[in-house]
Amino acid sequence: MRKIDKKQADSYFRIRTILITIYLLIGFVASFVVVFFAEELSGFTVNGMPFHYFMGAQGAILIFIILLFVNAIVNDRVDKKFGLDQDQKQ
Amino acid sequence: MDSQFLVSLVLILVTFGLYIGIAVYNMAKQTSDFYVAGRNVPAVFNGMAIGADWMSAASFIGLAGTVMLLGYDGLAYIMGWTGGYLLLTFLLAPQLRKSGRYTVPEFIGDRYRSSAARLIAAVATILISFTYAIGQLSGSGVVIGRLLEVHTAVGTIIGVVLIAFYSALGGMKGITWTQVAQYLVLISAYLIPVIFMSLQLTNNPIPWMSYGQIVGELQLLDQQLGVSEYIVPFTEATKWQFLALMFTLMAGTAGLPHVIVRFYTVSTMKAARWSGAWAILFIGLLYLSAPAYAAFSRFILMTQVAGSSIADLPAWTASWVNTGSLSVADTNGDGILQWEEIVISNDIVVMATPEIANLGVFVIGLMAAGAMAAALSTAGGLMIAISAALSQDIYYRSINPQATERKRLFVGRVSIIVATVAAGIVALNPPGAITQIVAWAFALASGTFFPALILGVWWRRANGPGVIAGMLVGLTVTLGYIFAAKYGGFTILGIIDTGAGVFGAAAAFITIIVVSLATKAPTKEAQEEVLDLRYPEGMTYKDGEVWRTDPAETKRPEH
Repeated sequence: MRKIDKKQADSYFRIRTILITIYLLIGFVASFVVVFFAEELSGFTVNGMPFHYFMGAQGAILIFIILLFVNAIVNDRVDKKFGLDQDQKQ
Repeated sequence: MDSQFLVSLVLILVTFGLYIGIAVYNMAKQTSDFYVAGRNVPAVFNGMAIGADWMSAASFIGLAGTVMLLGYDGLAYIMGWTGGYLLLTFLLAPQLRKSGRYTVPEFIGDRYRSSAARLIAAVATILISFTYAIGQLSGSGVVIGRLLEVHTAVGTIIGVVLIAFYSALGGMKGITWTQVAQYLVLISAYLIPVIFMSLQLTNNPIPWMSYGQIVGELQLLDQQLGVSEYIVPFTEATKWQFLALMFTLMAGTAGLPHVIVRFYTVSTMKAARWSGAWAILFIGLLYLSAPAYAAFSRFILMTQVAGSSIADLPAWTASWVNTGSLSVADTNGDGILQWEEIVISNDIVVMATPEIANLGVFVIGLMAAGAMAAALSTAGGLMIAISAALSQDIYYRSINPQATERKRLFVGRVSIIVATVAAGIVALNPPGAITQIVAWAFALASGTFFPALILGVWWRRANGPGVIAGMLVGLTVTLGYIFAAKYGGFTILGIIDTGAGVFGAAAAFITIIVVSLATKAPTKEAQEEVLDLRYPEGMTYKDGEVWRTDPAETKRPEH
């Protein structure tokens, strides 16, 4: 066990929090905001369905899946930058 | 006894033989590793196991029917049940994993330094899992009822016996490879029929690309009939109900005790992240297909069943009418079955689909096997959550701390049987459709655990009295609203029983914050523990300083 600069640890926390906020915001827009404006967004079609229906049935889920994979990839990079690569420790 | 019955039964028995076989093989190989079996498993397979755990009778049997009957409004279930994984992975999983506790009541009791809070959390776990189990049992009733061509209630009784037996065996929990097999059976059972239907109706084998066209045709059919249109939003309930239900399902996902557990039994934080990502991909495969089912089934019902002579209905209708889940009465007596005269239960759409599309005995049998895998695997997990809460958190830690391991196991087994039978009695005459019953479980979770866990890991000032008051208020408000809305006709902004979680969660958040601020702050030690959760594994916070620790040094508590 060795002491590390608290600033460095806090910057890890800050980066993680900012990333999480961005991901959650995107998820929120894809689900809640689109539903809220469902009537207004039904004018055009995607994949054969009105946009609001497409988002509920396919779009939002695809965005959720992409967000979780992006999070896994980006977080691996952040960990590496901070020397927290867990694979090497084992 | 027809050939369909034999084929279905054989497929169910073969798949169950497979699960038990894998379990026995694994147990024999690594008895000592029983609880950590999931740790050497690559993230992809762990994701499949999470998927099998997660997808219950509600997702498998109930979801597509709900989307079919509610139209756009049913999509709240699809977005809610997938979006919950964002809240879980981003806001709770890393911190809960680092805390090193294995059950939710245990975490709440230790974090808030309060055995009363642990006890309330244990009771809430039982209540949530029990409600959820009612949905699973009524789902198995649908499957068994159809299989034996008996009334759904009789099917439920048989399901109770099966689930009590299966859960008392250990429910095959913790054996990741069994769950991987369950996932594969479940997902192929779900996808094969929908792919065939897509081929039949659109000549395109990719349902996700082809059902948009059918949705367009449904729009025209609805307009001709003058019924409420399939894709038009908020025809069944208000926009606020949609949003409230979606929130309830998301927050509930992040607060469901038996789901959370899966995320911190993997070896590293990295593995947890990747397992979560794979899990949502595998789960998403089913959720992306449910609306395709809904569109295809509705299209076939509207074009091939409705409009036909009442004396000349397809053979599959008769067996479903026998189970009490389908009614095709010719109410206006013109000898023709109109679309309005078909009354179909949410819960039979997926099970009836292969028959509606005439897909043959093998596919129908596979469907039954998949549905049983979904209902039994989830019910097994729920029963184990109930028995752990009762025997560990309530009996051992609060009533009889001297209890021997054997005595605790005995209490656990008895509670499984009692809980299954009790849930079965309620499920005999289910108080709602499967998705609706399950939504109540999510409402209870979002009114109790979601606020307690979120504030527990993100706000160090939250304290014992706050969380006790918050969980009690959240539970009361949620239960009160469910009953008031369902039986008293009381609603706010048109939000019905299934959206109750939004009020429960709001009330609990406010209560925890107000009561915590009005009472003494947690001890310095307790606050530091919460601060420590901010930092990743490998960093430890102590006395205002951060220490780098080798992951190998920090041993997680043994269980």
